[in-house]
Amino acid sequence: MKIFDRLFEQQARQLAQRSSRRGLLKGLGGLLVGGAAVPLLPVSRVHAAEKPMDKGDPSSCDYWRYCAMDGFLCDCCGGSANTCPPGTEMSPITWIGTCRNPADGRSYIISYNDCCGKSSCGACLCQRDEGDRPPYRPDKTNDINWCLGTESAAYHCSTAIVVGVAFEET
Amino acid sequence: MKIALGTLWLCLSMGALAEKMNWERAQFHYRMFCQGCHSPDGGGATSVPPLKDNIGYFLEIPAGREYLVRVPGSATSALNDGNLAEVLNWIISEFSGDSAGENYERYTASEISRVRVHPLDEVEHYRTKLLAQIAAAKARN
Repeated sequence: MKIFDRLFEQQARQLAQRSSRRGLLKGLGGLLVGGAAVPLLPVSRVHAAEKPMDKGDPSSCDYWRYCAMDGFLCDCCGGSANTCPPGTEMSPITWIGTCRNPADGRSYIISYNDCCGKSSCGACLCQRDEGDRPPYRPDKTNDINWCLGTESAAYHCSTAIVVGVAFEET
Repeated sequence: MKIALGTLWLCLSMGALAEKMNWERAQFHYRMFCQGCHSPDGGGATSVPPLKDNIGYFLEIPAGREYLVRVPGSATSALNDGNLAEVLNWIISEFSGDSAGENYERYTASEISRVRVHPLDEVEHYRTKLLAQIAAAKARN
C-alpha cells in the first residue's frame, strides 16, 4: 500500500508544480464561455425564429393575437389561445390573417380555428375585425361560421394560433 | 461556339427563373391563402381534396394543368399572376410526392394570366371527369 501512496503523492506533487490554480480557472472559464457561444448541436433554429415573444393576457380582447377576432375567447371557456375546451372539436378549416406583435414589432400569421360541438361559450366576447373582409372574400371573412369539416357545426369559441412569421418584401 | 452560346442562354434563363422564385414568399402565400382549407401539410379536410401526393397527377394532361389555375381558390385569389405561379410551383414542389414527374414544367406568370380569366363555375363534376381522363392518359403511357 505504501508504494501506491508514494506513487500518487509523487504524481500529485508533479501536477501541482506544472500547473496553477489560476490556469485551471482560466481553462474552465474559457470552456464555459466558449461553449455557450458556439451551438453544440446542429439543431434547426427555424422554429425558434418563428416563435414570437409572447406578452399580454390571452383572456383579454386586447391581446395582440386577437387583432381580427370575432367571437368568444377559448381562453375564457376552459381552453386557451391555442387549444379548444374539453368536449369540443377544433375545426380543420379556418381563416387566417396577420397580427403585429408589439413585443418585437413583427407581423405573425394567425390561424383563427374555431372550436365546435357545444353551444356558444358566452364568455369574453371579442370583436376587433382588423383586416376582416366582406363575405365576397370568403377566405378572409370572420362573419361566417368556420365550424366546417367538424362533426358538429355548433360554434363554441375561437382560438388564435401562431402559424409563423409573416413575409415582408425588403 | 453554338454549344457555348446555348449553355450561356441556359444559365441565364435558369438564373432568371431562380430570381423570380422566392420560396419563403411562396410559403407565406400558401399559409395566408391556401392553408386555411387545404391544411398545413396539404392533406386537406372533409370535402377539401388533398393536395398531398395527388396534385402532380393533374399535370399529366393540359386540361388538368389548367384546372389547377382555374379552380376558384386560384383563379379568383388576391394573388397577382407572378405570385400565383410561384405558390402553385411551391405547392407542387412541397406536396406532390411521387404524383408529379421529375421534369414537370413550372407555371409562369404569363401562363397564369392566360388561364385564370376562365375560372370554373362548377368544380366537383369537372374534377371527376378530369380524373377519369388523367387515369386513361396514364394507362396509355
